[in-house]
Amino acid sequence: MSIQFKSITELNELLDNKAISASELNQESIQLAKKYSELNCFVTLNEENAKKKSAAIKRNQKNPSLLSGIPLAQKDLFCTEGLRTTCSSKILSNFIPPYTATAVEKLEGAGSITIGKTNMDEFAMGSSNETSFFGSVHNPWKKGFVPGGSSGGSAAAVAAGIVPAATGTDTGGSIRQPAAHCGITGLKPTYGRISRWGMIAFASSLDQAGPLARNAEDCAILLNSMSGYDSKDTTSLNSEVPNFLENINQSLKGKKIGIIKEFDLSDLDTEVQERFEESKNAYENLGAEFIEVSLPNISASVPTYYSIAPAECSSNLSRFDGVRFGYRAENTVDLNELYIKSRSEGFGDEVKRRILIGTYALSAGYYDAYYKKAQQVRRLIKNDFDYVFKSVDLLMTPTSPSTAFKFESKGTQNPVELYLEDLFTISANLAGLPAISIPHGQVNSLPVGLQLIGNFLREDLLLNAAHVFQKNSDFHHAKPNLEDFK
Amino acid sequence: MDRETVRTICYLARLEIDKGKSEKIQKDLEAIIELIGTLQSIDTSDIEPLYNPLEMTAFKHEDLEISDNKKDKFLKNAAKSNEDYFLVPRVVE
Repeated sequence: MSIQFKSITELNELLDNKAISASELNQESIQLAKKYSELNCFVTLNEENAKKKSAAIKRNQKNPSLLSGIPLAQKDLFCTEGLRTTCSSKILSNFIPPYTATAVEKLEGAGSITIGKTNMDEFAMGSSNETSFFGSVHNPWKKGFVPGGSSGGSAAAVAAGIVPAATGTDTGGSIRQPAAHCGITGLKPTYGRISRWGMIAFASSLDQAGPLARNAEDCAILLNSMSGYDSKDTTSLNSEVPNFLENINQSLKGKKIGIIKEFDLSDLDTEVQERFEESKNAYENLGAEFIEVSLPNISASVPTYYSIAPAECSSNLSRFDGVRFGYRAENTVDLNELYIKSRSEGFGDEVKRRILIGTYALSAGYYDAYYKKAQQVRRLIKNDFDYVFKSVDLLMTPTSPSTAFKFESKGTQNPVELYLEDLFTISANLAGLPAISIPHGQVNSLPVGLQLIGNFLREDLLLNAAHVFQKNSDFHHAKPNLEDFK
Repeated sequence: MDRETVRTICYLARLEIDKGKSEKIQKDLEAIIELIGTLQSIDTSDIEPLYNPLEMTAFKHEDLEISDNKKDKFLKNAAKSNEDYFLVPRVVE
């Protein structure tokens, strides 16, 4: 019996009925990863370790953890003790972390098995997975098309049915946009909900870990395990973590959903607009009410983000200097040359671009004009959200302006073209809000995603709205034809 | 953004740009600066910057002694080290 494309809930049934053992399940998951290696979604497989750990799984029949024996893939920026962690960069291509990220430790503590580390945009900088040192990931729906980014390997591995779920991180849309392009569900939780300890930092005030899965229910299962206060992360939220499965079936009757006036959807592909209208109708049929709301500063999200994120990245990535870990250039005569050569040979072009922009934005004479200015606009954007959430429960937008695109077709002449892909997703990161992307149909045989944004700590409501939609639709059951990748 | 500014930023960031790519990088940086420059038209007088969405003071954890010494594991990740230190080219003559 194939385990491909099965959800966590379905796999739990198979394990409980003893139709399959945890060992067999993980073995098959790894075989699928090998069979579809052409997708390029894994940087490193954890075969031996997964074999050992899954053989030791003893499921408690009375009260099994919903993750006991379940194979998962981790984005390759979560540190995993003893297992290579590269951030898809040459500079970390030989890095073996001496500790494990809290989020992964919690998932493994609940019994899940890490079968491998997934490909991504280098240091999570990108929206197409094309900046990876290990090569582009293919979208399982169409060879030669991007899976989105930066968590593209995780999204492709779930979409191809290799694993039922995977971890990702989202700094400006890096969970939601690849989830949309690959036709799966991806959740970016509230900033601080999941510990960032052991996540290799890109932009510390925006980065947040989260799950990518076949449906909202499975996202809730992962979120239940990943969430919680961690004293090792100084920005970890010390607030109660609800059981995200508890209210997932609640009726949506009377829920108010805001449509953001400033996002002019008439600029989008007609079919993307049509999918959006169809989903709006579907939510109305489920009892939700729509209200047009105004977020006057939301259009400034992209320039705000592309000032703040590079500034934080230039600071965070200064630790990569060739001395304590990572790639070191050969034959350097002094320490300064060692730094310059190791960094210049170790980082790819997009990472260099962002470090340079950030260095510029933080340098004397420009700090107020670019960095401080962007942080002021960020407050205006957050104030707008605070105001609209007094009158609505959720906000709804498309996840991405378009479907997945061909390799090297966007951003090669001007990087700003690719930055605009993040238009709908970025504001949730700036304000620290939770948001989810769910599949809601296709355009030209490629999936499109619907984004819901929630108020601070209201992942429960997002998962509820996503799950009820999925109970009444089949979009999340669609499977790509993988013949081209065998 | 002129060539000299790009050179200064590169030095500050300890990065070197391949000669063949420098013109393209300069053009890219100009496009990005133009994008973030659009923020100048927004009135932000009297607006406090929002550096972190949580706006809370960082938690402190108890200052406890732990006996877990990972020195060897950390040194193993360095390209060059001896038993106790990371090794770099000579700094003091």
